[in-house]
Amino acid sequence: MTMPLVAIPVVETPDLLLRGYRESDFDAIADFGCSERARFVGGPHDRWACWRAFLAGMGHWVLRGYGMWVVEHRETGRVAGRVGMILNDGWHEPELGWHIFDGFEGQGYAYQAAYAARAYAARHQGLDGVISYIDAGNTRSLRLAERLGASFEREATLLGAPCRIYRHPTVGGA
Amino acid sequence: MTTPAIPVIETRRLVLRGPEPDDYPDFKATFSSYRSRFMGGPLNRYEAWMLYAAEIGHWAIRGYGMWMIHARADGRTLGMAGGWSPAGWPEREIAWIIWPGEAGRGYALEATHAARDYLYEQMGWDGAVSYIDPRHLDSIRLAERLGAIKDHDADTIDGHDAVYRHPPPERLRSGQLRDGIELEIGHYCDPLFQAGGMPVD
Repeated sequence: MTMPLVAIPVVETPDLLLRGYRESDFDAIADFGCSERARFVGGPHDRWACWRAFLAGMGHWVLRGYGMWVVEHRETGRVAGRVGMILNDGWHEPELGWHIFDGFEGQGYAYQAAYAARAYAARHQGLDGVISYIDAGNTRSLRLAERLGASFEREATLLGAPCRIYRHPTVGGA
Repeated sequence: MTTPAIPVIETRRLVLRGPEPDDYPDFKATFSSYRSRFMGGPLNRYEAWMLYAAEIGHWAIRGYGMWMIHARADGRTLGMAGGWSPAGWPEREIAWIIWPGEAGRGYALEATHAARDYLYEQMGWDGAVSYIDPRHLDSIRLAERLGAIKDHDADTIDGHDAVYRHPPPERLRSGQLRDGIELEIGHYCDPLFQAGGMPVD
């Protein structure tokens, strides 16, 4: 007798593949998590916390039925970031989150990934009109939220730290 | 695409299953308590959640991991036991934790003995260690009851842990070591004397 784990769906965009996790993704995820780039997502973390986050990225799918994908850059096969829905203990409601790794900024990949993840969540995961938590100092993410049509809803506190809640428009499910 | 699956192990008193969403509150209660001080805790709720999700992710990436221990009698959770192998650790580990209110009844011994058998005989492990805080005497005692011996020469995780090396599969298949472990488990399952109050151990 066995208990199945969840298969993480694959979502394709013109430049990106949103897919499940491989051990070979860990270095890219740890490079981001241990770096200053992670300062707006609770980091920088030590390597153990990055490993835990890497495994937890998979486990979240089992616990919630949705989660963050690994974003693969199709042309190079490199890991460009992570994107997807997050509902950790302590979150007010499911959040659309995005992490874009060094070297993949400024090319519209974050928009492409977040747009596709949001559409998938609305259509297949029953999550529409979702929020994003964004640090007030994270100007790139604030701009991306606005480009995605999200609007400021309120100031909030997440894990004891102040942040802003942006609300995405409903994009249609069914 | 095949979906990996977590095997279920049954013993006389226990059922070992993968960590499930409903078990999270029990996990969180122990890992946010002083009980977890030798296992990286106590954790805040974010850390507890991330570690619980990571327990499941470990199964997905490694094909083995920590089972949730349930009592056959009523299904309640008692703790966790199984295999653990974070990136960068020197060797694969056999680990266990029992919720504080369930200690002293031999559940860790029964669960870990079964989990180790499974890792050895079904998953092809040829050995394992346990990394234990030297102050965690209950855990060191359990390692010894399981036949593990302190390995002074083995690499540790960070220099703050002692390495206990488990007997290899061929030594565990039959003989005095196995008989002794199963005798002790048997005594927990069929006690000659029922303690009236607190467990004696």
